[in-house]
Formats: sequence, structure tokens, C-alpha cells
Amino acid sequence: MFVVKNAWRNVIRNKGRNILVAIIVAIIAAAATIGLAIRQAAVTARETGLENTTITAQISFDRSKAISEMRESSSSSDSSSSDSSDSSDSSSDSKPDFDAMREAMSDKQLSLEDYEKYAKASSAVKSTYYTETAGLAETDDVQPVEDSTSSSSSSSSSSSSDSSSSDSSDKQSGDGQQGQPGGQGGGDMGGGMGGMTMTSGDFSLVGFSSDEAVANAENGTFTMSDGEVFGYDSDSDGDVIISKELADFNNLSVGDTFTLENTSDEDTTYTFTIVGIYENSTESSNQMGGPMGSTASDPANAIYTSVSTLKSLGLDSDSTVSTTDSDGNTTETAAAQLNYTYVFSSKDDYEQFVSDAEKAGLSDDYTVSSADVEQYESSLVPLDNLAQFALTLLVIVLGVGAVVLVVLTLFNVRERKYEVGVLTAIGVKKIKVAAQFTFELLVVTMIGLALGAAGGAIASVPVSNQLLAAQVAQQESQASSQNAQFGRDMQGPGAQGGSSDSSSDPSSDSSSDSSSSSDSSSDSSSSSDSSSSNGAPSQPGGNGPRGMMGQAVSYVSNVNATVNLKIVGQLLLIGLGLTLVAALVAVVFVMRYEPLQILADRS
Amino acid sequence: MTESTPILELDNVSYSYTKGGKKVLHGISHTFRTGEVYSITGPSGAGKTTMLSLISGLASPTEGRVVYNGKDLAKQDRYDYRSHDIGVIFQSFNLLPQLTVAENIILSMDASGKKFDQPKKDIAVRLLEQVHLPAEYANERILHLSGGEQQRVAIARALGYDPKVIVADEPTGNLDMATQDDIMSIFRTLAHEQDRCVIIVTHSPEVAAASDEVFELAPLRRHL
Repeated sequence: MFVVKNAWRNVIRNKGRNILVAIIVAIIAAAATIGLAIRQAAVTARETGLENTTITAQISFDRSKAISEMRESSSSSDSSSSDSSDSSDSSSDSKPDFDAMREAMSDKQLSLEDYEKYAKASSAVKSTYYTETAGLAETDDVQPVEDSTSSSSSSSSSSSSDSSSSDSSDKQSGDGQQGQPGGQGGGDMGGGMGGMTMTSGDFSLVGFSSDEAVANAENGTFTMSDGEVFGYDSDSDGDVIISKELADFNNLSVGDTFTLENTSDEDTTYTFTIVGIYENSTESSNQMGGPMGSTASDPANAIYTSVSTLKSLGLDSDSTVSTTDSDGNTTETAAAQLNYTYVFSSKDDYEQFVSDAEKAGLSDDYTVSSADVEQYESSLVPLDNLAQFALTLLVIVLGVGAVVLVVLTLFNVRERKYEVGVLTAIGVKKIKVAAQFTFELLVVTMIGLALGAAGGAIASVPVSNQLLAAQVAQQESQASSQNAQFGRDMQGPGAQGGSSDSSSDPSSDSSSDSSSSSDSSSDSSSSSDSSSSNGAPSQPGGNGPRGMMGQAVSYVSNVNATVNLKIVGQLLLIGLGLTLVAALVAVVFVMRYEPLQILADRS
Repeated sequence: MTESTPILELDNVSYSYTKGGKKVLHGISHTFRTGEVYSITGPSGAGKTTMLSLISGLASPTEGRVVYNGKDLAKQDRYDYRSHDIGVIFQSFNLLPQLTVAENIILSMDASGKKFDQPKKDIAVRLLEQVHLPAEYANERILHLSGGEQQRVAIARALGYDPKVIVADEPTGNLDMATQDDIMSIFRTLAHEQDRCVIIVTHSPEVAAASDEVFELAPLRRHL
């Protein structure tokens, strides 16, 4: 009691010095508060960002190996869009063996059974769905919706949603050059689209496995303007829904039947019953990178049905069709492009699945990837940088703070040597004197801490957002410089394909996209939002390259660095730690003093 | 002189600053009783202040024992001894300049950990009265006081927790004669009327003459 009382009196008495110490502590505390708040906000953002959204993932063939092989042999393509990007570059080189390449690649495509095997291998999978997309040719009765611009959509891009992932540049250039189906972890439905089966068709017949698949339809969500969605069992085979554009174009209505041809065999025809007419309510989140002017890439020409229908027609991915390309080579390819999606309720489940799939025998040639996660990760880059900066700040501030506090305490104790002598001479135990000094310091640091925490709490949100904005700006300038670097290479095919007007757009678009979307934090945390907003400008049609280049990662640019009890607790611990360090010095000095010595020196 | 039980006893006490080094005190034995004023005199360097340090528990004898109330000081907590049982008045007063008079007195009362049946401030004022200082000095800063007044405050502080033994180191060293006489009368009152043991280290013959018993430390001799 004596110690506390005496300490308190001394705090009051030595106002000047204590105010100085309190101010120093307050500054340390404010900086520490901001640092801690930023770090916590970063952690929270990381944890909660994907909490309420389901994560979708796909298994895709890891083509980076294949790409490197292909680069060696200067092979520009293994798909039918063989005149894509690099062909001009490689003109001096020997022609690659397209067929071998194509075969090698198509062998690597996983079958439906494979996908299901991995789904069963992990308990983390919440649900799965898949779509199969086959191409169909027009008949005299039914013509695809076509506008003038669609013919120029010669982009070889297979997936626009790819572009929103941060690992973009490299892989994308690969994508762009190959136009290969099978997708490398692209958007919701990924890069499975595009490519070969679509090339020869006028319509894309998309088979959905479930309502969930429909809900995640590649062309965006839609509403039924008439009729209803088909069923998924074999009773509903042949039932399709078509877009309103297509219905109006061909004067079709619910209940009508129509016939389409096989893309490679004119004698094979398929008859469908229209059970509904839909209207795309959101713009396509995926640019249906139909190569070479395929009208099948136009969302209007997408015919939706169940996978059961495709199976019954022999158009599912397990069936094969033979195609003969312009060189006269015949290749067997799957009749439909399978696009299998795993759904997880959390990121942890996703990670669990990745390891489970590996255990279940998924070879190194394949990667499990999630656009949601990847995009999310890349959106966190500035925040991570900021968190790193905050940590550095914290360490420096605490280090400097500790030194300053120790030095001040040292001077304080030396200055009050006489007091220590008197107190011990009249019988106050040294440990009590040391405790008194410690308590004094504690009172002062706690006052400083409270002031600093208050100041830090007020400042942390604007300061951290300011810092984050700087990080985002830096990240964007990096991204745009990368864009510029890779953009020239990658825009090549688009420009050659005729849409030269749009070739200059992407980089500017993407940067403006990201800056505008950076205004809203909600957008950035939800990957589906941002991908759809990114996807919006990359409409099918003449804007092919844009989708490919749509690198607009909407960075997390707003961090809720509020100070909560946890931070106050951490701050308290830091304050106590600093006080203890400084007090230790005081204690050591006090314990070393001998009252007789001090008093003798004085007299 | 009435015989009373010795409150403090030096039993063949020797002291050297370093182990095996020069002995400042050698084989001192003396008995102190309550109700008397003792003077310890001797030439400079005879070990007067050292002896006082031993009595006040600031130092421990290298040989022999200091016995307080029948108990060896070496076996007690010397901090408790200092804060409870003995009041020390230092040559340089050793008051805390940043505190007021009353705060200095109360500080020693607080340090003793004793319980008081009156408010400490009242006791402090009463003690000031005992050392012939007016009550309004209580809230005065130490630095505003003269040397004699500081000496009185130091005595009052030493009395705060009612110790049986009062030890003073050159209490009249730099005071004028009138003040010196007054201080001595205070000490005599403490000894004779309040039955305390007052031990004064001094080189002043007047102080020695005013005390009941004089213990003269011989000049330091060389021992072989």
C-alpha cells in the first residue's frame, strides 16, 4: 500500500518528466495500435473473405510442362485454332507435330468417372456439378443468332475468367497461344469451354447436371421468360431451353420442336423440344472464346439441356467424334467438353480436397485450382504487403520504444539515487523501492498507452486505408506495367483477327476497372462479384482480346482496421512488456545501491 | 542513575570496509540504556560514523555482535529494524527536498508499516511541536527551511514511528549555539521524559557536556 501510495504521489509530483514519458509511450502505443489493427484486419479479411461464399474448384491438366515443351518446339497450338498467336513468331521454325500434340493433350483429359472418383475421395467436397458442352450445326429451319461483329471474334482465348487470376501473365500467354480446352483453373466454369468442339458448331448444346450447375451457368444467370427449366432424369431427355434471342430469331416458342445437325456428320440430326425460353439476366461471366467466328460462342446460341439429354444423344464427353481438319487429318475428339466443378463450403475444405485428391492418385500432371481462391489471394496482395509493413513498423516502434523507455528510466533512477538512499536508510526495503519505481513507470505508461490507444483507434482506419491505397496503387502500377509488357505479345492474335480497335483497350480497361472496383470493399471480397464485373466488358463478339487481358484484380482496398478488445489486450501486453523491460533496469539499479554509500557520498 | 535493562549493546564489535582489511573499529563493547543521552566522541577518523552505521543497522560488524533488545541484529531484518526500532538523524538530514515537511515525516511513518490511532498528519504536527517548529511549517517545502529547521524536521521524522532508540550524526554540526542548545534540550527531553535511548555522534565538547554519558573512541591504533 505504501508503495502504491508513494508511487502515485511521485507520479503527481514529477509532472514534467512523466508527461514526457507518457507522450513517448502514447506515440509508441498509437503506432502499435495501428500496426496491430492492420494485422488483425488482414487476418480477419483473409479468414472471413471466403467464409460465406462457397468455393468452386476444378481439376485441370497442368499444362505448364506442356507449354514449356511446346515453347521449345515453337508449337503454337494443339487445337484447331491453329493460327493463333505465335504462328507468326514461329514461322521460321519447323512445323510442330500438331497431331501428336493434340493427342497427347486429349489423352490427358479426365473423364467423368475420374472426376467423380476424386469427388468421392474427399469428404470435404460439399457438392459437385458439371456441364457438358457439345457443338451442333444449323439446319435450314433453325439458324443461329449472328451479328456482324461475331465474325471477328477470332480470339483464341479460351477463358476470360482465367485472366482475373493473378498468375495470369505466364499461363495466360500459354492459354492464348494454345486456345486449348480443358481450362486451367479458370472461372466458375473455367476454361473447359471454347476450343475444339465448339469450333465447328453453330450452336452450343450445354448439358447441366443439376440446378446448381444451371445456377452457375457460364453465360451468367438467367431468368425464364416462358416455360420452365428442364428436368434432369431421362424422362426429360430432349427437353431444352433456349435463349429469347434465339427463339425470336427463329420464331420458336415453348412446346415447339426443332432439329439440329451434328457438326461433323450432316446425316445425324437431333430433335429437341423447347420447354422454356430464358433470358440472360446478367452478362456473361465468361467470354465464350469461340475461335474462328463460331456463332456457338454467342450466349444467344446456347441451348441448355440436361446431361442426360446429351448422353442419350451420344454427345456426352465419353463419346467421341471424328473430325477432319483442313489438312485432311482425322482426329478423334470427345463429343462434348466436360466441365466438372467441385463445390466447397470453405477454403479449408478446398485445401483438404487438394490433398485428398493427391492421395487418391491425382498425378502431378493435374492441378486442382480454384479461381475463387486464386483471385481472392491475389486481391489480398496489397493487404498482405500492408500487413508485412505493419509488422515491420510494429517491431521498429517497439524496439525504439523499449530503448527510449529504458534510457529514460535509467536517467530517472540515477537522478533519484538520493531518494533511493533516503528511503532505504529509513528502512524501506530495496525491493519496495524498486516496486515503487516500477509502479510509477507502470502508471505513466498505462496513461500513455490509453492515450495512444485512443489516438491509434481514431487514426487506424483512415491511416490503414491510406496505406493500403498506396499499396494498391503500387500493385496496380506493377500490374499495368506487366500488362504493357505482356500485352503486346498477347494482343497480337486479337489484332490479327481483325478486332484491332479493341486491342488497345484491355490494358487501359483493366487498370480502370481495378481502380474503380477498388472503391468498394464488398466487391473485392467477393470474387464472383468482381469476376462478373470484369466479365461484363469482355462480351463475346469483337472484344475477344479484352477477355483474355481482363486482368483486373479488384484488390482489397478497404480494410476495416478497427480497434477491438483483442487489440487493446495485445496493446496492454505490449505496454506491460515494455514497462517490465524498463523496470528491470530500475530494479537492477536500485538493488545495487547501498544507502550508506549514497548518503556518505552526499555528505 | 537508575539501572534499566540495556536496549542496545555492542559486544566486542569490529568493522573493516574490506574483508581482512584495515579495521576501522576494533573490539568495541558498550551498553546503551533507555532514558539516557549518550555522546560518542573522538578524533576524526576514529570510526564515529562507522559506529553509528553499525548501531543504526546500515552496516554489519565484521566481528562481534550488535544486540538490540536482547536479540542479535545480524539475525534480524535490518530494514525492519531501521524502519521500526531506531530513528536515525543524518548529518546531512537526508530529507527529500521535493516533499513537504509533513510528507517527509509521514513518509517514515508509512515506511515503518506501523498502525497509528491518529491521523498521520496530526501526529506530524504534534511532532513538529515537539521539535519546536510551528504547525504551519507542515506544508512547507524542505528547501524553504533553514539548516536548523531542517534538522528539527529530521528529528521529527525520526520520531514519527516512535522508536526506542534515536541515533544522531553530528546533529549540531553546522548550527549556531542557540539552535544547538535547543536541539540538545529536545534530545534530553526525548531521553528523560519519553524514556528513549539517544545516541549522538559529535565532536562538539558542548554537546558531549550536555549528554549523560560520553563514550570516547580512542584514536585508531595499529594492530598487528
